[in-house]
Amino acid sequence: MTQLDTVSAHDAVDPRHADLERAIKYAAELLPLPGPITAFAFLNTLQALEDLTFDQGMRKGARLYGAQPYLAEQQYRDKITRGRIRVSDLEATLAQELGDDGRTEIAGLTTRFDLRLAMLQYPLRVGPPEEVRWFVLETDALKHMRAETPLAVHERFLEETERWAMRDLRTQSGNGRSRKRPYRRIEKLVGEILESFGEANIEDWSEATWESFSLQTLWSICLEGMQAVAAPAPPRRMALRHRDLLLQTTTVDSDALVNELLGRFCAAFTDQGFARWPLPGRELGFFKAFCELYRQPGGPPWPWARGLAAELARIEDSGQDALASIAESLELLGVSPYEQDDFVAAALLGLRGWAGMIWHMETRGDRVPVPVPPGTLVEFLAVRLILERLAIAYVARQTIGYDGPLDELRDVARGMIGRQPTASTEQRAFVVFQLAQVLGWCPPALFRLSNEEWWALVREIELFQNLDRRYILHQAFERRYRIQVLDAIGVHARKTPERVKNPRFQACFCLDAREESFRRHLEEIAPEVETFGLPGFFGVAMYFRGAADANFVALCPVVIKPQHWVVEDVVYTLEDTHRRRAMTRRAVGTASHQVHVGSRSMAGGVLVTSTLGVLASIPLVARVLFPRLTARIRRTASSLFQTPPVTRLRLERQTQQPGTGEDQIGYSLEEMANIGERMLRDIGLTSNFSRLVFFFGHGSFCLNNPHRSAYDCGACSGTPGGPNGRALAYILNDFRVRDILARRGLVIPAETRFIGGLHNTAVDSITFLDLDLLPKSHLHDFEAALATLKETCERNSHERCRRFESAPLNMTFEAAHRHAEERSEDLAQTRPEFGNASNAVCFVGRRERTRGLYMDRRTFLTSYDPKQDDAEHTILARILAPAVPVCEGINMQYYLSYVDNRGWACGTKLPHNVTSLLGVMDGAASDLRPGLPWQSVEIHEPLRLLFVIESTPEAMNSIMDRNELIGKILRNGWAQLAVLDPDSNEIKIYRNGTWEKHQPQQTELPTVASSTDWYRGWRGHLGFAVIEKPDPHRNGSEIAE
Amino acid sequence: MDDTLIRVLGVTVLAAPFALVIVLGLASLVGHPLSERSIGRLVQTAIGLGLLAALAILGLMLSTGTRHVPVVLGSWVVIPDFHFSVKLDFDRLSVPFVVLSFALCGTVGAFANKYMHREPGFNRFFVFYAIFVLGMVVTSLAGTIETLFTGWELVGLSSALLIAFYQDRIAPVRNGLRVWVVYRVSDAALLVASVALHHMTGEGDFDKLLGNMPDASGVMHAWPDGLAHINQSQALIVGLLMLLAAAGKSALVPFSGWLPRAMEGPTPSSAVFYGALSVHLGAFLLLRVSPILDVCPPLCVAIVSIGVLTAVFAAFTERVQTDIKCALSFASLTQVGIIVAEIGLGFRYIALVHIIGHACLRTLQFVRAPTILYDYRTIENAIGTRLKHSSSNRPGWVSPRLASWLYRLALERGYLDVMLGDYVVTPFVRVFRWFDACERAWTHMISGGAPAPPPVQHGSPTITALEELI
Repeated sequence: MTQLDTVSAHDAVDPRHADLERAIKYAAELLPLPGPITAFAFLNTLQALEDLTFDQGMRKGARLYGAQPYLAEQQYRDKITRGRIRVSDLEATLAQELGDDGRTEIAGLTTRFDLRLAMLQYPLRVGPPEEVRWFVLETDALKHMRAETPLAVHERFLEETERWAMRDLRTQSGNGRSRKRPYRRIEKLVGEILESFGEANIEDWSEATWESFSLQTLWSICLEGMQAVAAPAPPRRMALRHRDLLLQTTTVDSDALVNELLGRFCAAFTDQGFARWPLPGRELGFFKAFCELYRQPGGPPWPWARGLAAELARIEDSGQDALASIAESLELLGVSPYEQDDFVAAALLGLRGWAGMIWHMETRGDRVPVPVPPGTLVEFLAVRLILERLAIAYVARQTIGYDGPLDELRDVARGMIGRQPTASTEQRAFVVFQLAQVLGWCPPALFRLSNEEWWALVREIELFQNLDRRYILHQAFERRYRIQVLDAIGVHARKTPERVKNPRFQACFCLDAREESFRRHLEEIAPEVETFGLPGFFGVAMYFRGAADANFVALCPVVIKPQHWVVEDVVYTLEDTHRRRAMTRRAVGTASHQVHVGSRSMAGGVLVTSTLGVLASIPLVARVLFPRLTARIRRTASSLFQTPPVTRLRLERQTQQPGTGEDQIGYSLEEMANIGERMLRDIGLTSNFSRLVFFFGHGSFCLNNPHRSAYDCGACSGTPGGPNGRALAYILNDFRVRDILARRGLVIPAETRFIGGLHNTAVDSITFLDLDLLPKSHLHDFEAALATLKETCERNSHERCRRFESAPLNMTFEAAHRHAEERSEDLAQTRPEFGNASNAVCFVGRRERTRGLYMDRRTFLTSYDPKQDDAEHTILARILAPAVPVCEGINMQYYLSYVDNRGWACGTKLPHNVTSLLGVMDGAASDLRPGLPWQSVEIHEPLRLLFVIESTPEAMNSIMDRNELIGKILRNGWAQLAVLDPDSNEIKIYRNGTWEKHQPQQTELPTVASSTDWYRGWRGHLGFAVIEKPDPHRNGSEIAE
Repeated sequence: MDDTLIRVLGVTVLAAPFALVIVLGLASLVGHPLSERSIGRLVQTAIGLGLLAALAILGLMLSTGTRHVPVVLGSWVVIPDFHFSVKLDFDRLSVPFVVLSFALCGTVGAFANKYMHREPGFNRFFVFYAIFVLGMVVTSLAGTIETLFTGWELVGLSSALLIAFYQDRIAPVRNGLRVWVVYRVSDAALLVASVALHHMTGEGDFDKLLGNMPDASGVMHAWPDGLAHINQSQALIVGLLMLLAAAGKSALVPFSGWLPRAMEGPTPSSAVFYGALSVHLGAFLLLRVSPILDVCPPLCVAIVSIGVLTAVFAAFTERVQTDIKCALSFASLTQVGIIVAEIGLGFRYIALVHIIGHACLRTLQFVRAPTILYDYRTIENAIGTRLKHSSSNRPGWVSPRLASWLYRLALERGYLDVMLGDYVVTPFVRVFRWFDACERAWTHMISGGAPAPPPVQHGSPTITALEELI
């Protein structure tokens, strides 16, 4: 101890400390980092593991998080039953995985391939030994063969057993069995079974008797065979943390003690202004504030933390800083330098929600109102380890009476855990018993096995473990959908891509999967319209503050840190009105805040509850029973003091440096021109301009939903992207920008006008911005476009409503739109929309290649014209640079949240409790829960995103080489990749570093007259179809898959 | 006044929720839970019917000026000197309370029907919810202490089960159990109180006990003007027991620790139980027996002190809560404490109005709790700046050290839970362990055999193995 005390805070160059800091940084990247819930960041929770292959990364992540990496086997088998996976997919996947190894013979019974296929295809029941015994003896397991047994196998199984029994087993038959053989116990057992069935009249046995006899013999043989097999391998690696070992030996969780206290303190420390009484000494930092608070006497009388005050006083008074304290704690806990990295990671993951939030607030202070200083995570860990020491010591003392030094505790606990066998004889025999029935290993075949063969058989079975099986099943699942997608795109892409001649208007949307259906409906209603897709921040990465907003928010993907600030101003003529209304708003806001806070206080509470209280029943009843009407009234009322309708973005900067100062707001002309040019070139809109071009950002407006931001634009880090579309339109309308672009060879016709807008994805409505700038000459075009878009909104709601179980399937378009609107206004509605749930594909290429293909809102659509790209694929590279991580992040977030909603994400949202204005807890107190709630993901299918890029393998190889992140994601299989040839419909799939040609299984697609004809009456996922105006010679409507 | 009509209406008020429990419960018992839609309709119909009947009775009572309408439904037991009867009392206390219960349960039921859509346990939720509604109605209308106890138990049972609604997580189950234990203590107090009452008066009817009957001069007395027919010391004993019961049920000090822990269930149940109805039951009990308070000033002092203590404690603790549900639960508790104090001070009507207003407002706030983030954002935008911690400056007389000590006291919720554990539960358990040991020794001595070893607790590790073999 004294020696440690000398390791003072000033010892900054201590190599151990530097190493610790590195370990903490490494561990921090493993934490979930969704950021504050009001700006939900779609990132792959396991992004730190993207250096590993998908399977390795998932397994490692699963171990760290204690969560499931894949669906349960039963869930995959259900998909086999429902045809979402076919046996041919299993076979192909398995064959690919095994290669030539698949032909290895196993104990002369079967090949490795067949054995594994059977293990994948049929459920293998397992349970504790008692349950297995019960199952065998008490159910009809010994009377009837498994229901899954194929008929042919069933018959052969019985027949061979019968012949064997008749020929070899009967004792009195005198058929040459008199020859001497080594007497085996199993022979005696089988003989006894034969006798018990009545050997004398064996020739009269019924079919049922034979079946029962065969199964009993089989079970005996399996049990006997296991005697020859060595005991299973000793238990897998022991847990690293003291807490885990103690939990295993005593079932008492020391983390429960630590997390309760520490979670509460974290909430107080990171609070964004909810509590009315802030944490005293917050400005001292996490460690100091904690010490100040808890080292005082007269403190918490928890039995486990009785020594806390003294310990904190000792640490603080000895001048230890956080790092020194961590080093000391690790030393006291007996953590060796080799274990250090893993131990630190495990300790941080013990309260991963808060730890992740602290790391996010520390590194991305721009995304929260009240950030925390750098180094807070280190201080958090220091506090955590101090508490952990106390809790572990307490638990060890209370449960196993251990009072010695903590660094020896793990050995003690490990000794107590000892060697528990992982599987009993019955359990192992039962597995063989089940497999034998589906694979037709009849009793005579198993009877003949030597001890070595039994050993080989069991080893082979146990080699193919649960996670391996699930990974294969998962790949088979992905294969089925991949084939469907690629077939559909391949078939559809046979047509020569042609752009619409003289389009009536052009509309650009976010690449979001939700906009797929919107664009499809728009193109259906108006074939003379062109649509494009691009990331919804439209290249305008900015901090934005609206005219009625108090603060700046970042409008760009979370991976980008904006360098520019933009504000919205009310036009000068309306400034008086604006000022008046702002004052009204302030008065109303202050009053409602007072009422809200007051109702929670003592005196104010009496006043509010006893006078206004009863009045609260009016909004309560109205909002619950008449949500739509209430919303309308509320909107009318608030429109009285909204911002005046005419506002301008302050986009052009006066000075050199961008910043928040009055003159520093906005972009320089050059920067604006660059953004404009880049966007147009990215989507390939460089010619054939229409008179009106729209840029639609999107956002979701719904009530009572802490996760609302997860429905907003993922490319705008969880905020509505309206201002971005508006800014781009403003830029491209600027004639100086157009001049610059013209000099660069991109000529925008003078009559082309750009308009920004916002698509509300919950309600399906569109708000247009800066309409007052629209020249009269374009009014007629705009009104026509407006009518088309309105109709599109209704159709889009209609298609969305088919996924809501509480919406009837036979609604009209208008009724569906009303329904969607009502959902978004309803306090009780937990599913205002499904966001990007069910996303599975990202198509990067010309819209002409997929236009008219029904893709079921499962596809991110990014526009890219390979014909306009240069030899270096510059455009594709810069499109993919954000698109790949953004789409993969969204996809993985949904993947993990669906596969194990409790483990990776935040579970059901019903008991959620908003805390510190940062995130949600489960119920009264828990860790901060990251990820998506079950209600947002329940219609998802966990598939890795399939990128289909209209390009060549060479281009993609070069981009993967040039961009490390893209290379990591695609090469390590965190997303799947295929390319569609720009000049033909040939598709190549990227797998393990090589490109394979896709072999289509389907050469025709169902054809329907409209999307509605394809999806109506159906709630589940739908296959692909071609939407074509009716052909008099064909009736294209077919039933869904 | 038409007695039959009143009787029919009175029975309807009770029968509607009762039928709901039976239908939902039976359907679950036979393993065929109803569909979401039919459950929704049933809940609406039953509660709507009950509400209409209660309103009709209110109308009749207002029109005829009657202040007290008893409806006797029969007797459980009648033996000389004792009888247990099932009786409903409609008076100025029970009618507003039952109307409030129906109105809030109906609204929140409609809310929950959408909110719980597709949740596993949808059916279970509504079975418990129906039991709760029945419990509230029985408690509010109870005309005898046994009837009240029945309703009281139903409310407690459904509360605890709904707190533990998410049975697959540890925290809800643990907290549900904790609430259940506190409720049992409170139930035990109420039970002892009712036995004591029976002992004193021979029956549990509130009418006789609380003097809701014509007095010598023929003037009809009804709540809250009843004249209790027991002496001061009797009143003190019964009153203190009732106060203990009320303290447990309404989370008054020192039982306050359970209220935030009860926030484990789905939002609508938290709203209607701990924001609105259940948490006021203790206050309701005190209101019901308020004539007793009149005869015993020391009892009133005790009630006022506990009420004020609770209010101060909760208001103080609420200031440091960082999550919306706990903040709201302490805010609720603040008002409940004040309401209890009002009762102790003799302001019966004010307390009743206060309960009703508070219940409505708090339900709305609870139901809207998930939207707090956007409410704050809207308010911030309206005001034009970030919301500041409203009291970041400590008053001058508080030293930083004291402030920090007080902050910790509030953050740790007054250490009430730990102290209850240390000073009540642990000694209690120790005493019974000691009895257990005595008994073992004793039986050992008698039987002469080896002492039976104390039961060993078997636990299985809760870590689920990822890579289970096969």
